[in-house]
Amino acid sequence: MKYVKKAGYAVATILFLIFTLGPFIWTFIISITPDYAIFAPTSELLPEKIIFSNYVELFSGSRRGTTFFVGMYNSLRAVGITLCIGIPIAMMSAYALSRREFKGRIVIKNLFLVTMVIPVMATIIPLYRMFAAGKMLDNIFWLSMVYVSSYLPMASWLISNYFATIPKELEEAAMIDGCGRFATFIRIILPLSYPIILSVILIVFLNTWSQFQIPLILASSMETKPMAIVVSEFMTKDSIQYGLIAAAGMIALIPPAVTALLFRKYLISGMVKGSVKG
Amino acid sequence: MKKKILPYLLLAPMILIMGVLVFYPIIATFSYSLKKWKLTAPGDIHFIGVKNYYDIVQSDSFWYSLQNTIFILVFVVIFTTIFGYLVASFLNVNVKWSGVLLALAILPWALPPFVNGILWKFVFFSGYGFLNKLLIGLGFISKPIEFLSSRWTLLLVISIVVVWRSTPFMALVCLAGRQSIPESLFEAAKIDGGTSGMVFRHITLPLMKPFLAVGITSTSVTAINVFDEIVALSGYSDLGKNILMESYLTTFTFLNFGKGSAMTYIVMFFALILGIFYLRSLNKEVEY
Repeated sequence: MKYVKKAGYAVATILFLIFTLGPFIWTFIISITPDYAIFAPTSELLPEKIIFSNYVELFSGSRRGTTFFVGMYNSLRAVGITLCIGIPIAMMSAYALSRREFKGRIVIKNLFLVTMVIPVMATIIPLYRMFAAGKMLDNIFWLSMVYVSSYLPMASWLISNYFATIPKELEEAAMIDGCGRFATFIRIILPLSYPIILSVILIVFLNTWSQFQIPLILASSMETKPMAIVVSEFMTKDSIQYGLIAAAGMIALIPPAVTALLFRKYLISGMVKGSVKG
Repeated sequence: MKKKILPYLLLAPMILIMGVLVFYPIIATFSYSLKKWKLTAPGDIHFIGVKNYYDIVQSDSFWYSLQNTIFILVFVVIFTTIFGYLVASFLNVNVKWSGVLLALAILPWALPPFVNGILWKFVFFSGYGFLNKLLIGLGFISKPIEFLSSRWTLLLVISIVVVWRSTPFMALVCLAGRQSIPESLFEAAKIDGGTSGMVFRHITLPLMKPFLAVGITSTSVTAINVFDEIVALSGYSDLGKNILMESYLTTFTFLNFGKGSAMTYIVMFFALILGIFYLRSLNKEVEY
């Protein structure tokens, strides 16, 4: 019986590894396969010849390479602005929603929460008009503000649930000792809630890095369009170079993968306390 | 007095941002949806009531997209739930390399949906992509299957790709749920002679219900809003379009702002029904 269980676990592990890593490995193989061999009519899975010219082209400052890295840089800038504006505002709102009793608390909370299910298209047409009228199109700051508005409900909800698990007595004790409200927040609440704040930062980072639909409509210039749009243009413009697209895809997933791996510990602990025990 | 204002002051930035960038646009979209408004005829914008909605319901294109949306929704929700639960049970086993397995498990969730579409395009490529090579190599088929050029196989591929991306989140939620159940409950059930089927039905399932509800609703929202993967797999073609894609094309390719807005409102109607379930499951307290 014990052996059956062990064998079952081994099989599960192998299946899990194949399905999780398979697409990554295959895309990597494509990226180092010469163009003529990529979809050659054979059932051979591995290329006869390995090339790195796709990576070289991206890194060597060619036109496509430059566009791609400007796209990566644009994505990164948007992530930075979104985090710097979004996280403090989310923390302020979370503090108000979890720590203060006031009129309309439940209504405000639910109104914010329900926007999480609303599709991007429901707001983008008026936003497009607004941005066009105010000359805010192709502007990373305003683009990031749209991202902020779409993550704020989720971020402040997760953080407020976590704040709610911190005993009020701690805060009261600090206040009695002469701490002001702001000092109490900085010295007591913030240090205790870093796991959820880190996991919210991770979620916002990943989502901003991935943006495609919003910038497709609001940011079309070279100076603003993010990585995903640039890669998508590799597919539709000129001739399609699959090897290059595969190489770009591999590079594009390094930042989110590394961030996710570094922050994963906080993700689970933040999720357990933050998500359902509202 | 000062105390009463504080929460509103703290909430002010969020209320301002949400008001201008979310709530105002939602209302504006509704007013657009009641107008005849094409960018190709900018002089002719006027109120036409529900005519846009009427035209949409009358068009075959809408029903085609709706079928696609529902296909993706049903497939993604069922299989994400099953695989998410299975992956969570797998990750819940304590072994030396648990940390590594967890790290690998969240990778698909971390990557941009558009890049996700690209990865799988290489697997399901209609010519000699990975799957065709494999099937030919094993002797199941003699010439490549065109996965991405017929409607139902394309939808199947889109759904599989979305399942792959949304499984990690479902697994994380299930894992959080599973780990919140006290181990003593399982031991007690074992002593009382409960079979594993009974334990699953009477302990695991009911206690994990709120977690599953959060996972399932969030997956449904993802499934309705699939966009990036469709573009990566089949471009802006008509074959695999869902309602969201149809609304994008109507608005920004055919420049019909009125009809596009109305279509978005139809998607939003479905999303809001899910949203109500979402709110209810999020606001629920778990008790043991």
